[in-house]
Amino acid sequence: MKSLTVRGVSKTYFDPYAGAHVTALHDVSLEVKQGEFVSVVGPSGCGKTTLLNMIAGFIPATSGEILLDDRAVAGPGPDRGVVFQSFALFPWKTVLENVAFGPRMRGLPLPECERLAREYLETVGLAHVAARYPAELSGGMQQRVGVVRALANHPDVLLMDEPFASVDAQTRMTLQEELTRIWLERRPTIVFITHDVEEAVFLANRVVVLSKGRVSRELDIPLARPRAWERLIEDPQFKALSKQVFDLVRAA
Amino acid sequence: MNPLLKALSLYVRWTRRWPVLASVLPFVPVLLLWAIVAEARIFPRAFLPGPIDVVMSFGSLVYKGILPEYLEDSVVRLALGAAAGVALGIPLGVLVGMSARAHRALWPILLFFQAIGDIAWLPILLIWFGFGLTTMTFVIVYTVLFPVVLNTVLGVRSVPIVLHRAAQSLGASRPRILLEVVLPGALPNIVTGLRNGLGYGWRALIAAEMIVGTSGVGFLMFDARRAGSVVEILLGMVVLGLLWYVVDGWMLVPLEKKTVERWGLVAR
Repeated sequence: MKSLTVRGVSKTYFDPYAGAHVTALHDVSLEVKQGEFVSVVGPSGCGKTTLLNMIAGFIPATSGEILLDDRAVAGPGPDRGVVFQSFALFPWKTVLENVAFGPRMRGLPLPECERLAREYLETVGLAHVAARYPAELSGGMQQRVGVVRALANHPDVLLMDEPFASVDAQTRMTLQEELTRIWLERRPTIVFITHDVEEAVFLANRVVVLSKGRVSRELDIPLARPRAWERLIEDPQFKALSKQVFDLVRAA
Repeated sequence: MNPLLKALSLYVRWTRRWPVLASVLPFVPVLLLWAIVAEARIFPRAFLPGPIDVVMSFGSLVYKGILPEYLEDSVVRLALGAAAGVALGIPLGVLVGMSARAHRALWPILLFFQAIGDIAWLPILLIWFGFGLTTMTFVIVYTVLFPVVLNTVLGVRSVPIVLHRAAQSLGASRPRILLEVVLPGALPNIVTGLRNGLGYGWRALIAAEMIVGTSGVGFLMFDARRAGSVVEILLGMVVLGLLWYVVDGWMLVPLEKKTVERWGLVAR
């Protein structure tokens, strides 16, 4: 069992423009069990990206601890895969090379890496663009590559930082549905950061509302799976849950 | 339709079909103007020979074997110097670009020495190394080095932090990140540095050959001045321009097309 524990984490940094110390996160605790899909939602500036960057190991916490099982997180590592808002694909690598990058870094033989990459590209219907460069794909396709690149490396936790915020609304819905499908098939542990309330509710088993650097509320989402917008958009339970989270975010 | 527009659309259509035309046709009016001014005898023939004279002089110098030999000397000097400059410049640029400590220590020195242009070194080099290959090589390496280093630093620093982070969370070690993220990410700037470096190096070499000269295109031109042969001076100038055209069009542009343009790092 691999579970993620965030215990009493705070982040304070010096803002040279304000000329003062600013607290981005204040005593945040979070528990994510293996196979769980957790959304962290909050208004901009609530510290959600800071939280993800600390779990990923990109920035250190000022105090508190972040554990993967009982091992403390120190710096970035392949046990925590990251999907970025700006995709962050390597422009000089083909789609296949991008997805095969993680397995290659783990030292798998090249043919095995490519077989794995192809297999993952197929799960999102992108096998036919394996030889293309990222710049030649649409935004939606690029982020599909971003998602499978992280998944192909078999991380213990998948960290997603507003991954669908920069694609158009139609593509976003398709990507959200695809992600729930992938989660059902492979059950990765996911921490999904977003400012979009409906996205948070649609995707997750549990929604964590973050406001002013604190966890203000956690909410279970007992909606049935598989989830599809076609059904949920008129679903009273989905609407009620969204309203509840919306009010919490608004009150923040 | 306006005949001018018609001519323009014809030009666009034909140059698209034969791209070579696009690199040749713009020179036609220049050559024509030159020929007319020369033929009109506004200046004495010995002062301003026409294009035909230059072509004939080209023929005779090639026939005598002087031009090919001198050209080879110049090109080999440039190639050796540039190779050394690049071999030193890219690692140095990566070091200064990636390490804050190296940047603090080396950046002021780089800026200082960049300001002391290639030719400004010649007086002291002539005293140290005399009129020879060492002096010329030093000048070229020096000239190529700075644009390559400064642009590599710029390129290394322009790689988005999010790509470093992506590579790190996919398990890449520092050397792998250098090889697979930093270097390709810096390539557009490295190519710019290479283009500037080779351009400056080529000019510096010609200048050095004029002063140090025992052979080479620069020597050919300066020697022609001594003999009062304007035709050979003009020929030297044309050769310099043509050679650069070839280096840029046959080496640098294809390199860019295959890499940075395909990757979408610069606008097509």
